[in-house]
Amino acid sequence: MERRAYKQALFAVRETENALDIVQDSMLKLAEKYGAKPAAELPMLFQRILQNTIRDFYRRQKVRSLWVTLFSALSAGREDDDTDPLETLESADASKSRGGPSDQLEQSQVIEAIEKELQRLPARQRQAFLLRYWEELDVAETAAVMGCSQGSVKTHCSRAAHTLAAALRAKGIEL
Amino acid sequence: MNEQQIAYRIKQLLNRGLDLDAGKLARLNAAREQALARQRVESRVPVLAWVDDVIGKSGGPSTLVPRLLLPMAVLILGLIAINQWRDTQVAAEIEEIDAGVLTSDLPLDAFLDKGFDAWLKRSSH
Repeated sequence: MERRAYKQALFAVRETENALDIVQDSMLKLAEKYGAKPAAELPMLFQRILQNTIRDFYRRQKVRSLWVTLFSALSAGREDDDTDPLETLESADASKSRGGPSDQLEQSQVIEAIEKELQRLPARQRQAFLLRYWEELDVAETAAVMGCSQGSVKTHCSRAAHTLAAALRAKGIEL
Repeated sequence: MNEQQIAYRIKQLLNRGLDLDAGKLARLNAAREQALARQRVESRVPVLAWVDDVIGKSGGPSTLVPRLLLPMAVLILGLIAINQWRDTQVAAEIEEIDAGVLTSDLPLDAFLDKGFDAWLKRSSH
């Protein structure tokens, strides 16, 4: 469970150390606050804590980046840095796929491409998709964790799935 | 390919990508251990601590019967005996009143008559 949690955090925050910290904090919060709860309730509670911890991280990052923007002209450069690897990867993958069928790609490359595309999804879509299909929560549970309606969950999941499929197809990857 | 099929395939591939390097695995395991240790401490406090306290003060489970359970049994038997004695006392008082009423020369209606009660009080003064 903690591996999936780590990956979820990594997709959201994109930094290994921060992702590990988020998982660790979430586990400790679960143990401290809900240690006495029945085991069946723990996965959903953990997901709720994990998502809240990720959200708290975003908030802190927002405040930090505001200060960085105020005091440093380099922040604009950092944004460019974030997009560069994705673009180079995309072009590299695209050139490869044009050279041959998609199944020639190694599985690790496919996984890497999926993970990159998950990172590029809007946060709510990614959250809904991973909770619903990777963590296998039902629609009601996902809605409870995300604090939104079940209809929103269905919409986010549908958009996420089709966006992912289209993005991967564009790279020559057929699921 | 519909949403479910796409999701299923992506889930399979994501699960295959869960192999992490030793450093990250060690860090996650350490976090899990830390959380479990804290959970044990937290859950021990409210319930088990009380049991531990009682057993510990009584000198261990072997001395629990003579030092704790025996006085409790004596106390319970004592309370039952007091309750029985009170019941017999109340029954004896009621019997005495009944006997007094039945053996009296006055009819039973006289005791219920308010005028007779008032006359009795005036004449006693």
